Amino acid sequence: MRQIATTRRTLLGSAAATLAAPAVVSAQGVTEIEFYFPVAVGGPITKIIDGYCADFMKENADIKVKPVYAGSYVDTLTKAVTATKAGQGPQMSLVLAVDAYSLVDDEMIVPFDTIATSDADKAWLKAFYPAFLANGTIDGHVWGIPFQRSTIVAYWNKEIFKEIGLDPEKGPSTWEETGEWTAKAIKREGDRVTRWGIEIPGDGFTYWLYQGMVAQAGGELAGDNGRKTFFNSDAAVEGLQFWVDLMNKYKSHPTGISAWGTGPRDFLEGKTAMIWHTTGNLTNIKNNAKFPFGVAMLPAHKRRGSPTGGGNFHLFKGANAAQRAACLRLLRWLTSPEKAADWSMATGYVAPRPDAWETPAMKAYVAGFPQAAVARDQLPFAVAELSTHDNQRVAQALTDELQAVLTGTKQPKAALDAAQEKATRLLRPFQKA
Amino acid sequence: MKVSTRFLEIIGAWMLAIIWVLPLLYALWTAFHPGEFATRFSLTAPLTLENFRNAWAAAPFARYFLNTTILVTLILVAQFIVCTPAAFAFARMEFAGRNVVFAIMLMQLMIMPDVLLVGNYRSMAKLGLVDTILAIALPYLGSAFGIFLLRQTFLTVPQQLDDAARLEGCTLLGRLWRVYVPLARPTYIAYGLVSVSYHWNNFLWPLVITNSVNTRPLTVGLSIFASTDQGIDWSIITAATLMTSAPLLVAFLLFQRQFVQSFMRAGIR
Repeated sequence: MRQIATTRRTLLGSAAATLAAPAVVSAQGVTEIEFYFPVAVGGPITKIIDGYCADFMKENADIKVKPVYAGSYVDTLTKAVTATKAGQGPQMSLVLAVDAYSLVDDEMIVPFDTIATSDADKAWLKAFYPAFLANGTIDGHVWGIPFQRSTIVAYWNKEIFKEIGLDPEKGPSTWEETGEWTAKAIKREGDRVTRWGIEIPGDGFTYWLYQGMVAQAGGELAGDNGRKTFFNSDAAVEGLQFWVDLMNKYKSHPTGISAWGTGPRDFLEGKTAMIWHTTGNLTNIKNNAKFPFGVAMLPAHKRRGSPTGGGNFHLFKGANAAQRAACLRLLRWLTSPEKAADWSMATGYVAPRPDAWETPAMKAYVAGFPQAAVARDQLPFAVAELSTHDNQRVAQALTDELQAVLTGTKQPKAALDAAQEKATRLLRPFQKA
Repeated sequence: MKVSTRFLEIIGAWMLAIIWVLPLLYALWTAFHPGEFATRFSLTAPLTLENFRNAWAAAPFARYFLNTTILVTLILVAQFIVCTPAAFAFARMEFAGRNVVFAIMLMQLMIMPDVLLVGNYRSMAKLGLVDTILAIALPYLGSAFGIFLLRQTFLTVPQQLDDAARLEGCTLLGRLWRVYVPLARPTYIAYGLVSVSYHWNNFLWPLVITNSVNTRPLTVGLSIFASTDQGIDWSIITAATLMTSAPLLVAFLLFQRQFVQSFMRAGIR
């Protein structure tokens, strides 16, 4: 176990800050903390985070917070791990919730329950939706605090639904309805399809969207504390068959791989009647849609189901005791019901605790924009996002095989058998002797 | 027979050129038209500069341009200063173990810079340089490729020219400066282009080692548009891409002429 004390930054008793601080605090000086956040500099989200940090420092003069914006999730993880290995890491970083196993295995992070020891702290840890805590809970410890969390929802274009004779106020609630309804939305010019029924992104987060289908078929993809995968279970095959059916049986989904990045744009331009996408896109679609749209939970087959997604805050080993305490205070402030509600309204990410939805501001927001509450209502059916030891490689093994099926080069069962075999090999070192 | 080969060559060249220029043409089309025409072609589509305005406003690009310019200039100047004497020593000086040292240096070409990420970061942290432009440049100042390229060029300089200069009483540095460097000008320009475009486009290392707007180069700034969570806006991306790659494209076109001319002049002399 390596412990690096970054005293250089911590004991900067800056005169200006102490003057402004209350007398009790000035004796201890100012604790500086730095956290990495996965968004690029200058984007709209940076302004929100900058604002939160400024407000927090106004209320807590003994803590100085510096957010560092580090690009995509993958870039942020690379940056945090590199800097930590060099002994100059951030005290906290928001990275994908599913990277928790890798961070624990590499001994990069410390669990929050070891520092959140007061009764109030313990109550705080229990206040989150269990579905969001699931990915960050390993070996009985809580390693990740949910913040930028999302889930998959189905967006539908009410105008197109009306045009093809469907009830525009109702999204499809089963697999069959999804297939049959979206098949009606197809529009052709000669042999060319100019409007598709549905697009489900097959790149970037392939396994994530697929996991929704597996959950709906009544299965799960991983278990046993991240040491086992069930990629070729009956439910997993059935789930993938649904995706293939949309392409080949209902013919309402473009064959091949639909792009994650262009899905929202296709939807906004009316090139597809429905998309499955992250709730993180809700605000974007709300601001840019020129037609009324609806948001539905993902359809049910044997049950409803959608994986959670997005990022958790993780506490890195480099932080000393004072910094850990400061991080805890910042997190408790950031995830307080009022701030969580504010964050959710500003971005479309799902407020990670039930009482945030009970705040007056949030209630007013949901009353005016009921689509925002769909993700929340889906949470009881949500499952933890696929996460295992050596997560990136295991997820990649599954993604490769899924894409082979989407492009028509492999049959679902054969592909999933291959993915399971590869995952089993990757996970062998983590089996208990 | 000969005519048909030539015909094939021309067709091949054109096809390659078209494939190369297509993304650029698409970028030009999309950048100057409103978002709804991003994937639709219509001659009557209205022209607009709105995308450039939005892209420019989305990040402190002026600062990023300055940072990138400082960065590539710093690297290029330092590389020339470091590589020239090294290449000269390898080409024209006899010393014990020359070939071994040369081989060791060439091995650097086999190592991907990304592998050294953590090691480099650790060095920068020890030097207290994290989050500075110098830290982005430092690992690249000694370039094995540059030394190799210049050495090969220096080897082609006729020994007689060197001897003549020596007879005239030229010092070692004088010969390097007055004989070798001028004759290697095309190589310098070629290497300069490669180096500048590589560091103009470098992303991973600058991202990892920088934390603030004041040090980040263009590429890291550009990544703001790649936040795929919110969906991709092709119009703004293409506008920003054109904006940031324009200086490089213009420089390339300008220096291409210079490039050819230098070759000719070097040949005549």
